[in-house]
Amino acid sequence: MTKNEKFGLVERFLIENQNAHYRLAYSYVKNKENALDIVQDSIFKALQSIDRLDEVKYLKTWFYRILVNTSIDFIRKHQRMTVMDDEILDGYLPKAEDEQTDMDLLDALDALTPNEKSLIVLRFFEDLKIEEVASVLGENVNTAKTKLYRTLKKLRLEIGEGI
Amino acid sequence: MKQINKLKKEYDDIEIPSELDEMVKQSIKRAKATKKKHSPLKQWSIGVAAASALFIGSVNVSPALAQSMANVPVLGAIVEVFTVQTLTMDKETYQAELKTPAITGLEDEGLQASLNEKYTEENKELFKQFKEEVADMEEVGAGHLGIDTGYEVKTDTEQMLSIARYYVNTVGSSSTTMKYDTIDKHNNILISLPSLFKDDSYIEVISSYLTKEMKQQMADDEDISYFAFDGSNLEFMTIQADQDFYITADHKLVISFDKYEVAPGYMGIVTFEIPSDILSDVLVGDTYIR
Repeated sequence: MTKNEKFGLVERFLIENQNAHYRLAYSYVKNKENALDIVQDSIFKALQSIDRLDEVKYLKTWFYRILVNTSIDFIRKHQRMTVMDDEILDGYLPKAEDEQTDMDLLDALDALTPNEKSLIVLRFFEDLKIEEVASVLGENVNTAKTKLYRTLKKLRLEIGEGI
Repeated sequence: MKQINKLKKEYDDIEIPSELDEMVKQSIKRAKATKKKHSPLKQWSIGVAAASALFIGSVNVSPALAQSMANVPVLGAIVEVFTVQTLTMDKETYQAELKTPAITGLEDEGLQASLNEKYTEENKELFKQFKEEVADMEEVGAGHLGIDTGYEVKTDTEQMLSIARYYVNTVGSSSTTMKYDTIDKHNNILISLPSLFKDDSYIEVISSYLTKEMKQQMADDEDISYFAFDGSNLEFMTIQADQDFYITADHKLVISFDKYEVAPGYMGIVTFEIPSDILSDVLVGDTYIR
């Protein structure tokens, strides 16, 4: 595969899966502008370092890793800002009662650490195999399994029954 | 799993903003244009959209004018760098300003001409590309685009001249790239990074120093972040054989990374001065770096 073919392949991958990439970023930052920024930053990082992607079959996990790291990095830098946003929103938005359950679910998910959240989002929302999740997060498969199990347990504790 | 499915549905329902598609395409386009060793020249077809009457293009070739605009660092009063050409567009949401440097006074006129030609061609091509992007943008409606290029003389001594040329591209957020040329004035040589060293081992020496240095800086300062090392598993960091660099007046090697290359966007362009003592074993000599 020539350099140009590889670039074209990555390019197509980025365009075709943009919605999934956006959702993944959004699930971390909960805000349109920031999610767009993260996708943009990730595209840059990926294409700038494309030479370092050795095998194209790892394209998906490679890019997800960049995306997840960029998102987590962003949260770390802007932690205080996100918290403020929530507080402001809570003050202004009237709470519809029938949304209560959903809020609980989301709150529970948000209470997870970024790493735990990555496990849940990648495995259940993005339907990655546990091996792929492990590779994205740079962990061995058994560790990832254990952590996922623990996280599910934690979620159940916080959501109540039903997982 | 009912609860998880409910969450997944919410996840799937995350609304996709209409601008995502355009943003992704623009980002790819720009990454392509700024990618190293990917000459932007090849990427763009020769056909150009008709030039708009609103361009205030000004090409100043008169030496008098060039002199008046010049940002002239004179040392030894022989070799000079000045602005030979400024391309501009100022049209509501589309802004461009491209300053092209030119060198005069090098003994080797061939080298001088080839550098000057490179600078002029580069900016001409970028401007052409910018006009095309503006035309694209106008087709789909309104948008903001900006481009800004210029140069900075990093080092100008009896012996050496280092010029840095920057390129800032703004679509929402901006990307910046920096390129450098370092010239040995006495011997009329354009210095490349590999030419400074005995063999390839410098890549390893500099990379391992940078790894340590980046970790150190991140440990010392919360606000500093390099994503190649950010506790993450992105282990893909070594410098390129022809990594951007320049040499300071006191003979230190400075390695430069473009925005997004090793750090998140907010870090901008990052540079590292490499201590000369760790290089002494791999250097060809101490003429330039010591």
